[in-house]
Amino acid sequence: MGQREDEFLEYVQSGGQIEVDDWMPGEYRARLRKFIEMHGNSELMGVLPEREWILRAPTLQRKLALTAKVQDEVGHAQLIYRVVEDLGKPREQCLDDLISGKSKFHNVFHYPTKTWGDVGVIAWLVDAAAIISQKALLKCSYAPYARIMKKICWEESFHILHGRDVVLTLMLGTEDQRELVQEALNRWWGPLMQFHGNPIPPEDDSMFVWRIKSQGNDAARQQFLDGYVPQIWELGLTVPDPELRKDEETGRWHYTEPDWDELMHVVTGHGPKTADRLDLRRAARENSAWVRSVLLAA
Amino acid sequence: MSERAELLLGIADDELVLGWRDSEWTGIAPFLEEDVAFSSIAQNEIGHARALYELAAQELGTTADELAFDRQPEEYRCCRLVELRLPDWEHTIARHWLYEEADAARLERLKASDDPEVAGLAEKIDREEVYHRMHAQMWFDRLKDEPRFVAAVDELRPLIDVRDGHSPELTELWEQMTEVRRSQPAGTTW
Repeated sequence: MGQREDEFLEYVQSGGQIEVDDWMPGEYRARLRKFIEMHGNSELMGVLPEREWILRAPTLQRKLALTAKVQDEVGHAQLIYRVVEDLGKPREQCLDDLISGKSKFHNVFHYPTKTWGDVGVIAWLVDAAAIISQKALLKCSYAPYARIMKKICWEESFHILHGRDVVLTLMLGTEDQRELVQEALNRWWGPLMQFHGNPIPPEDDSMFVWRIKSQGNDAARQQFLDGYVPQIWELGLTVPDPELRKDEETGRWHYTEPDWDELMHVVTGHGPKTADRLDLRRAARENSAWVRSVLLAA
Repeated sequence: MSERAELLLGIADDELVLGWRDSEWTGIAPFLEEDVAFSSIAQNEIGHARALYELAAQELGTTADELAFDRQPEEYRCCRLVELRLPDWEHTIARHWLYEEADAARLERLKASDDPEVAGLAEKIDREEVYHRMHAQMWFDRLKDEPRFVAAVDELRPLIDVRDGHSPELTELWEQMTEVRRSQPAGTTW
């Protein structure tokens, strides 16, 4: 690394933030753009698992809340792609790369949503895991990204309340309803434990080194377990991991090692719903191509 | 059932079913901006349906949710226009524009009602519908020279007044919208 890169690294590591027109090392720009683009893709693909249940929401209030939540996720994608655009990649290119499988999206959005129980568990726990990752971006060394993250985190905190309310209502309901939640938790626990990524030390994680994020993967997972396992237990649910326990001396949670091969397999485009969801997005984009061309010609 | 309850249910069913259809665009509209817009419109329509059902429910001794979900498909009073599944943009915008135009005229009549509750609610609903009309008109202006859009408007226009009987598409929609609710005994909390 040259002197200018060294100074940049020292600047961001001491809490400095940069703006869109500031100089940045090529590697930083490339990694930042890829990371933010994947975040935008994840917001957009994250719409699809819950979208399937918008038409089946069982009360008017749930219908309104779920539509609003999914709408927020699209709004987040819109904001995030703008930041990517400022870094030199147009939104249309991001969408093309997403559909062709060239770019990636988060592991949890590659799985099916089988019941209304999944809708509650996703809004509560997937969004809880996501907000931990996103809060670690509030001090991002790239200031435009840090700024939009404030709005995003604020909205995500409402999604968690909505999800918890769906789950709580089901847990207070019939035996079948409680089973829906337990089955959904059993399905989602593996992907949730993989969510924050493999436990590489922060000093080897380029996202942390460049202070794009302010927390390492394992610290994020510990924070998730610490915040949510007690709540899961309190609701009378069982976490499907016999090894899960908190070491009261160290304050650390012990758990069965997440399946990192599954994570790699899924995020490289081989999840159970990856192909279906990309096909849906591709078909929607092809069907409405004429609309975009009419507008662009105007 | 009183004439008033029948009137309220007819409008509420239109708004509910259209809101449900509009929400099919959440996540897959031609632009992210339209995704957000159609989701907002869907929420507004369903919010209007809820307020109208609540007014009818007071009179009928039931609840808005029971009116929205627990009737049989043939009991809904919505017009044919709103119940169709229209998975393309030209028909969606044609319906949006036709409905908003007809709805505006209906709201004007309701605002002049001598029933203060009905007139007050119509006033409140109209404050949001203004934005739907602007959105519909903007799209109409953009697409008005497109043959596929013109054809869609011509095809759908007669359906706004069709209220006798339903298409199989309403039953399909009803099965989806009540699927979770019907999976447990009546009265279960969701």
